[in-house]
Amino acid sequence: MLACRRLARPAFSRIRSLSTTTEGALTHENCDVVVVGGGPVGLALAGALSSSRVVGDNLRIALVEAGDLDKIRAWQLPSEKYSNRVSSLTNTSYAFLNDIGAWSYVQHERTCPVEHMDVWDGISDARISFDAAEIGTVSQNEGMARLTENLNLQRGLLHLLEKAPGVDLIHRTKVTSVTRESEGHGAWPIVNLDNGRRLRARLLVGADGFNSPVRAYAQIPSFGWSYDTQGVVATLIHRPRSAYEGPNTTAYQRFLPTGPIAFLPLSPTVSSLVWSTRPHIAQTLQGCDPSVLACMINAAFRLPQVSLQYLYNRISEAQATSTPLTPQQVQEEILWRETSHGIDRHSAMSASAAMGDAPIGIPPVNSELVPPLVTSIQAGSIASFPLRFNHTESYLGEGAGARTVLVGDAAHTIHPLAGQGLNLGLGDVEALAKCIENAILQGSDVGSYTALQPYARERYLTNHTIMAAIDKLHKLYTTDFEPVVWARSTGLEVVNELDSLKAAIMMTAGADGGKSGITAGWDMVTKGVETLDSAVKVARAVGGGIGGIVGTGVQTLIQRVSERTRA
Amino acid sequence: MLSPFRSFVRSPRLGRLIATHSSVNPDEISHFSNLSAHWWDEHGEFEFLHKMNPVRMTFVRQKLLEAARDDGTDPNPAQVLANLDVLDVGCGGGLLSESLARLGANTLGIDASEKNIGIARQHASTDPRLAPTSPHSSLMYQHTTAEALLEQPKQFDVVCSMEVLEHVDNPASFLSTCAELVKPGGHLFLSTISRTPLAYFLTIFMAQDVLRKVSPGTHTYSKYIKPSELIQFFETYRPPTPPAPVPSLRESVTLADSLTSSARPWITRHSDTYLPRTQVDVRGLIYNPVFGNWHLAPKDAWGSLECNYIFWVRKPKEIDS
Repeated sequence: MLACRRLARPAFSRIRSLSTTTEGALTHENCDVVVVGGGPVGLALAGALSSSRVVGDNLRIALVEAGDLDKIRAWQLPSEKYSNRVSSLTNTSYAFLNDIGAWSYVQHERTCPVEHMDVWDGISDARISFDAAEIGTVSQNEGMARLTENLNLQRGLLHLLEKAPGVDLIHRTKVTSVTRESEGHGAWPIVNLDNGRRLRARLLVGADGFNSPVRAYAQIPSFGWSYDTQGVVATLIHRPRSAYEGPNTTAYQRFLPTGPIAFLPLSPTVSSLVWSTRPHIAQTLQGCDPSVLACMINAAFRLPQVSLQYLYNRISEAQATSTPLTPQQVQEEILWRETSHGIDRHSAMSASAAMGDAPIGIPPVNSELVPPLVTSIQAGSIASFPLRFNHTESYLGEGAGARTVLVGDAAHTIHPLAGQGLNLGLGDVEALAKCIENAILQGSDVGSYTALQPYARERYLTNHTIMAAIDKLHKLYTTDFEPVVWARSTGLEVVNELDSLKAAIMMTAGADGGKSGITAGWDMVTKGVETLDSAVKVARAVGGGIGGIVGTGVQTLIQRVSERTRA
Repeated sequence: MLSPFRSFVRSPRLGRLIATHSSVNPDEISHFSNLSAHWWDEHGEFEFLHKMNPVRMTFVRQKLLEAARDDGTDPNPAQVLANLDVLDVGCGGGLLSESLARLGANTLGIDASEKNIGIARQHASTDPRLAPTSPHSSLMYQHTTAEALLEQPKQFDVVCSMEVLEHVDNPASFLSTCAELVKPGGHLFLSTISRTPLAYFLTIFMAQDVLRKVSPGTHTYSKYIKPSELIQFFETYRPPTPPAPVPSLRESVTLADSLTSSARPWITRHSDTYLPRTQVDVRGLIYNPVFGNWHLAPKDAWGSLECNYIFWVRKPKEIDS
């Protein structure tokens, strides 16, 4: 057994002994590609590279991760429990993961297709919906996107790397510093690890997230801002949909003036929450009893904004006086607000039925317009993180930072409202892996700027277009300025009629796995948002009267797209 | 648009030959020696060459692959250069030589400028895959000229001379020297600039005088060579009979080779518009100033040979069947 274990990693020791060189008193190991960061994006890059024969024959690859990858490799949860970090993989991402052979190692039954999507405005209640069946190319059970736990994906990628060895996985190891080997053009970076190893990298890849040390080494400036918004995530438990309703494969998103709240299906009785809201509200929500949070989630998908605001304040004040509201008190508050809004206790729009003896049997009319009522929250699944927009000026290091390239969040961070963060990162990985393979076939030095330029050229504008569209959507929907809301609602209604347009937008969700359409779709979105902006200005000028209906129509498109892609 | 050159000069020890048979121009050599420190600055003087390199390599691989298939073998496309003996004449800082060596070719880069060879060696030494100390290294540099190599019996599967032809003094003699260094059935690759008004405008007026991307004096219009002139040269080319223009020390075996190979010219054309696909190819290299990249023009694309181009010709095999 011991011998076997030793044999399992022969590649590493051979490589190390072959390539260890003395440089002064210090020794280093030569590597062709050093990936810093073992998140989904870094692992996907290692997986994509190791799955290519050409790359495997020519490059020595190492991946450095501070965390414990063995824990992720051994990750197991009972079938009814889910991790709170969930991503919606577009069909383009899915196709890529399939191509590199990773998808077969992802536990399929823990993923959930999004077959339908419902998006509505919290102020005007204008609504758009998307259906996977509207896209002719989508086969059964595939949906518009696939909700997948990040850990499930990471574990799958680790198993792929196990089956296709060749990547030196260095985990439980921190990068202490990155230094430059010498002066002059194209000097090689040296990655110093806290276990004493020093890796001399032909190409250093930063897959190390928003606070990327690789980016700092490469001195690549970035621009962006914080949204003054916090994203609250949790794993939600609810009753299954009844036989009269469809399966739990609909993603819901309601745009509240404080930010969008999204409900992402994982199984018939479990779904995932991403609630973007103001930091003080997020703090309040995280501070309350989980069953109070469950009530608030139900309310947030149903009650008018004015009542939600009242509830946030009520809970916050009670917390401040150390007499937090009990779930019963919150339920009573919600019931009272519903009564004053004229919401029937037995209608789909009532959030107060959740805790009580909920009716089993025939569901209320329109029950599919809102997510199922949340009954509880999986223990320990509530967390939050700040939302920001950030894009680097370049994906490639130059001069003193030569031989570096950024992928994923190290290069760009976006609002999660369209669920595009990981998809953009996987798009980067696919493009970079292809770029590296082409460079090898041309005999190029894969660390050189010239060899990597096609990657940056392919991804930068694409990412920027999508990021700009999402940023504009966020700003558009977090306002309660009357003319804007009016424009929004008009646009939404108009667009809902335009099935062909809808189909075009749906394609941008990656439904066809095609690439060229995606950027075009997002371009359209951006233009639409811009037109909407100007429509809003017109509306403002005429006092909320006759805005540019056409413009708002376009804008609606945009929103749709974003919704679509979220899934 | 332009590509700097690779130059080609005689080493001091060969000085006695300069007066007689050298195609090397001493002014060209000193021009490039002065720029040698910039060879590996991808954003500097030689940016155009760095960007052109992958396209040249694509063409080289493509032709070798086609030729291998014509010969009835089915090589792995990723290893079509593996273990071939390749000579890079006028290697400069080693841009092309390094790429050839990475693809597994036993590569010899030669240059008439000692400084260039120094830069090329120094650069390769930082790359563990190419460093002379590496057991895998298949890259060698030598400060010499093509004419001097002729004095040795060695011939090469592939001879490349990229962006050199427009810098030599006697192109005909240079071409025949390169031709003699190719094994029968081997390949000769050349890239250069055509002598057209467009080429003058792009490579001299714009690149040197207006945009200053390339040092003045890099190119001389009258030295540019048209593709039709190269084709004509290899249609009529006959290996120099016994003593080559350069006093030859080559063994009789090699002489015999050249005699048999003279059975037919390198290019046998039956019409003005048709080039025999298995013998020769010429393709435009087009620079896109918007994206800042080069690409290989499609075959026979109109006007694509008006400026930079790349040329391939195959030496007839021994005893042509």
